[in-house]
Formats: sequence, C-alpha cells, structure tokens
Amino acid sequence: MTSKELLSVTSQVGMMLLENGAEIYRVEDSVVRIAEAYGYKQGERFEVFAIPPAIIITVEDENGTPLTTHRNTRTRVNNLDRVDRLNNLSRYICVEKPDFKTINNFISQIKKRKTYPFYAIVLSFAVVGATFALFFGGGWKESVAAGVIAAIISLIEQAVTKVRPSVFFNSLICSLFTAAAAVMCFYFGFTAEYDSVIIGAAMTLVPGITITNCMRDFIAGDFLAGVYTLIEALLTATGMAVGAAFAISTLTKLLGL
Amino acid sequence: MNALNDIILPAFYSFIASIAFGIQFNIRFRHIIAAAVGGVISQVIFSAAELGGSSEALCYFLAACAISVYSEFLAKRLHVPVNMYLVVAIIPLVPGKMIYQAMITLVNGDTQGFAEQCTATFAAAGAIAMGVFAVSSIVRVFRVVINKKGI
Repeated sequence: MTSKELLSVTSQVGMMLLENGAEIYRVEDSVVRIAEAYGYKQGERFEVFAIPPAIIITVEDENGTPLTTHRNTRTRVNNLDRVDRLNNLSRYICVEKPDFKTINNFISQIKKRKTYPFYAIVLSFAVVGATFALFFGGGWKESVAAGVIAAIISLIEQAVTKVRPSVFFNSLICSLFTAAAAVMCFYFGFTAEYDSVIIGAAMTLVPGITITNCMRDFIAGDFLAGVYTLIEALLTATGMAVGAAFAISTLTKLLGL
Repeated sequence: MNALNDIILPAFYSFIASIAFGIQFNIRFRHIIAAAVGGVISQVIFSAAELGGSSEALCYFLAACAISVYSEFLAKRLHVPVNMYLVVAIIPLVPGKMIYQAMITLVNGDTQGFAEQCTATFAAAGAIAMGVFAVSSIVRVFRVVINKKGI
C-alpha cells in the first residue's frame, strides 16, 4: 500500500465514522490502527486530527514529503450499524493487511448496507412517544396522542432536515409543534392533561448520541470535541424548551385554559 | 407502593422504548435486544434505589454506573462499539420530567421555583455523567494496563 492509498483509505474510514455518529476517540483510534498495520507509526510518519465537523490526516511518503487531506463532514446521521461495520473493518485490516482494492470493496459494501425502511422509523417514533407518555404518568389516551404526535414529528424532522437548519432551529420547530398539538388535544377534550403528552413526544427529540458522545469525548480527553458536542446538546435542549414554552404560554392564554 | 407500578411497568416501558430507539439509530436487531435489556437494567436499578430511599442524584448515579458496566462488558465480549449499547440504555434515564417542570415553572413566572428545578435537573444530569465517567475511566485504565502486559 502506497502512502497515497493509505491516505485515501484512512480518510474515507475516518470520515464515515464521523458522519455516522462515532465518538472522536474511536475515529482517531481506528485510523491510527489502520496506519500502523501498514507500518506508518503515529508521531513518525502519520498524524490524525479529528473534531466533529472535520478530520485532517497527514502521511509522509517514502521520500519524506508530507501528504495531507482535510475533509469536512457534510451530513451527520445516526447510523450505529455503519460504525459497528467500520469498526469490524478496521479490526480486519489490522489482522489481514489486505490490499487497497479489497478495502475499497469493503467500504463500498458498507455504504450500500440497508437501513431500516421509512415506515419503521416513523413507527419507532410513535412507539417511543406512546411508551414515554405512559412512563411519565399518562393514561392510554395520552399515550395515543403522544404516539400520533411523535409520528408527525418524525415527518416534520425529515422535512426540516432537508433545508439544513441549525440544531437549535430543528428542535425548536419540532417541540413547538409537539406542545401546540398536545395543548390542542387537551383543549378539545381528547386527553385529560397535556404534561405527559408533551414529555413523551418530546423524548423522541432527545439527542441521545450527542449526549453519549459528549461524555465519552470528555473521558477520552478530547476536550475540544467534548465542548463542541456539549454545546450541540445544550442548544438542542434549549431549542426544545423555548419551543414548548412559547407554544404553551401563547396557547393557554389564547384559549383561556 | 407496589412492585408492579413502581418497578415492573417502568422497566417494561423502557424496554419497548429502547427497542424503538434502537431502530432510529439503525442498530441491527439482535444488538437492539441486548441494548434494550440495558435500558431495563438502568430502570430497575433506578426504581430500586428510589424505593430504598436514596437521594435522586444517587439513584441516577447508580443507574448510570450499572448501564455503563453492562455496556462496557457486553461491547468487549461481542466486539462492538460501546456506544451502541450505551446510547440506547441511557435514554430512559434522561430526566425529561424535570426539564419539563423547570420549563413550566418559568412559563408561570416562578423564577425561584425555576432555579430550584434547574438545580435538580443539573444535579441529575451531572450524576448520570459522573456514573458513566467513573466506570469508563476505570475501564480505560484497565485496558491500558492489559495492553501493556500484552495479554
């Protein structure tokens, strides 16, 4: 494997790990291990620097000329299956040391792996909303309302993600809708209260991967990435709170509840 | 106080919700079940600690410790990223009700109540983070020691 090929492989693997919700430690560790499998030791001929929005890799070729690649993440999705597969791939590369073509084959296979179909995602949102409404003390009516609202949230999220909003705006819109719909359900007498409906449906908006990655980044000592993800999580939470607060305060005043 | 309402039902709800979250994160099915069991463990530990009269922060801390141990152990055994279990198992612990109540007190104009609720929420969130921190840090130390010995 030449240094150019190594650069291509490591940047692809690192980039995919970043985009699919791996923590920084895993990204850097996988890339370093792959490089070391081909005799490029970190600190001597190989360096990697990753933060959530970007990854920079430098390899020194045979003549000592450095080659650098820098990639920005365009989209961030939650696809932990891909992270798992890439993890297995880097494990495999370390043991077998396959050639460039084989690795590229594996990478394109991982890219082609199926995700759950659209209706399953919508259904899972509904189930999360319904069960958490029960969990937070609602009855079956509240549960049904939260399930329906959560399913609609998943559609809204899909639509809103297309215009690439900030995390704050995204959660603001979703939670605004959640609270408004829940208060309306209460107003028309379908549910006995709106607290558990709002909490249950809003649980679908909780940025689980961001929170976990934030903690794991701090543990691993990647403070830059940790602060980045912490702010992302806090902004999401603030967006949720502001959206719900706005909807509740205006609607209860307007409807005289 | 009865066992059904305090322990079994919340655990059951968090099991179902964890499965649904696993689908959102596109985890394969057999891993989803394992992760959802983690969610159940966290909930059972939390309810048990609450019944035992622990303070709220301690309940969160213990539950976070439990799922952290579970995820680290299982991830090591099955050679998968720890995140896959931790992400799903931690979600039933998110103090949604506290955040909501903090927001509601602010909407009602009760600033003092808001400060109290906020403190409680941050204590809970901090306790969860501390639980994960404690276990993961210990695991990291062990991993370094084991790698050095070359076992």
